[in-house]
Amino acid sequence: MQLPDLNAIPRTLLIVDDDEINRGLLAAIFSDLYTIREAAGGAEALQIIEAAEGALCAVLLDVMMPDIDGIELLRRLQPRGVPQRLPVFLITAEASDAVMREGYDLGVMDVISKPVMPYIVRRRVQSVVELFDARKRLSRTVERQQDELLRRAQQILELNLGMIEALSTAIEFRDGESGEHVRRIHDITALLFSRTDLGAGLSSEEVEWIALASIMHDVGKIAIPDAILNKPGKLTPAEFEIMKTHTLRGAELLESIPQLRASGAYRYAYDIARHHHERWDGRGYPDGLKGDEISPWAQVVALADVYDALSCKRVYKDAFDRDTVLRMICTGQCGAFAPRLLESFLAVEPQLHRLYETGKTP
Amino acid sequence: MDEKRKARLQAGGIDVDSALARMMGSEALLERFLGKFPDDLNYPALCGAIAAQDAEGALRAAHTLKGVCGNLSMTELFNQLAAQVAEFRGGDWDAAAARMPAIAAAYDRAVAAIRGEA
Repeated sequence: MQLPDLNAIPRTLLIVDDDEINRGLLAAIFSDLYTIREAAGGAEALQIIEAAEGALCAVLLDVMMPDIDGIELLRRLQPRGVPQRLPVFLITAEASDAVMREGYDLGVMDVISKPVMPYIVRRRVQSVVELFDARKRLSRTVERQQDELLRRAQQILELNLGMIEALSTAIEFRDGESGEHVRRIHDITALLFSRTDLGAGLSSEEVEWIALASIMHDVGKIAIPDAILNKPGKLTPAEFEIMKTHTLRGAELLESIPQLRASGAYRYAYDIARHHHERWDGRGYPDGLKGDEISPWAQVVALADVYDALSCKRVYKDAFDRDTVLRMICTGQCGAFAPRLLESFLAVEPQLHRLYETGKTP
Repeated sequence: MDEKRKARLQAGGIDVDSALARMMGSEALLERFLGKFPDDLNYPALCGAIAAQDAEGALRAAHTLKGVCGNLSMTELFNQLAAQVAEFRGGDWDAAAARMPAIAAAYDRAVAAIRGEA
């Protein structure tokens, strides 16, 4: 089957009349303007309209015909919305009030009385066909422009994401991390919210915002001196106090970007930057929040951060093997997490583990 | 179209100037459609329906034939058929049927003129 070309402006005029001479006369009037198709009755016309509506620019319809008459044909076409898309002209010798009213009620564009005068019928049909053409071209132009706007909006979104990633990665580089860390935090966060019941009640858009926000969890590290950030050995208590401020500095930094504040990701980004070192048992920082006082996203990013840190080599440690990582997380040796969060985490951990084998999104 | 042909058609009840206007001035087109007229099936259908007392079929045939005559500016036949259609629609079968001799005469004159018969 050949698919209709949606961009082609239809140029075929369908003439429906049971009399050959009447059809021939109308065909002669329009043959220099349109391709002509003729139907000798309502049934044949219905078949042509069903098979090739997209190629038709107008229908000239006789009222009185032996099989399916013009009004009956309209009754069948009207519920399918055909007269709205395709102008139909009733050509009738009996332009009685009743026929005209029913015709117009059924959506005909115009009623032209027989015998037709060529210059009148030409002008009336041509004007309407041009109107429909212009309307179609306009709606196609609008569609194209909408597509273009959507494409540009998508580009802007991607650019934003790219810039946020670039900034976050630049900060992580100071920390001796590769850009993979923020990418994995993003993926782990997105996966935990989209594939476990942690995400119950969150729309896919919200999950995207949270994942985007997770990338920025450590931006506050830009305010931490190199000597502390890159110190190979254990931090002194004073140094650790300074290190801990990266949570508050991060939240402040994000708060100072008006464009970010206007984004749906902001409330998550602020909360995650500030609270990704809080602990379920209340012994975290900076606010010492406990249990469900900590938002689900801050809890998830905290876990993702620990999981990723343990699974990879850092300046101060080697990578742990998978069993050790899971044992350390689940026994509270490293961090303290909600039981429900750990349960969801363990359910998808095999998928998360693949991030470290292939480096690809599971 | 020579004057003789035109006069012959006029005598057959065909308003040639008006018909030519409908054909956008094309004599070739007018001759083509006039040539088809004797073969148009609506006249025999009308006669058959009258004979069979088929009111619905007669109305349909008379109506369509009227349309053709209008297009070809066969004024006399058109007027007869218009009156007949009105009578059919009014349910006056007898009056409509009684019009057949006049219709047949007008039809025959038109066909003879088209064929160029004397």
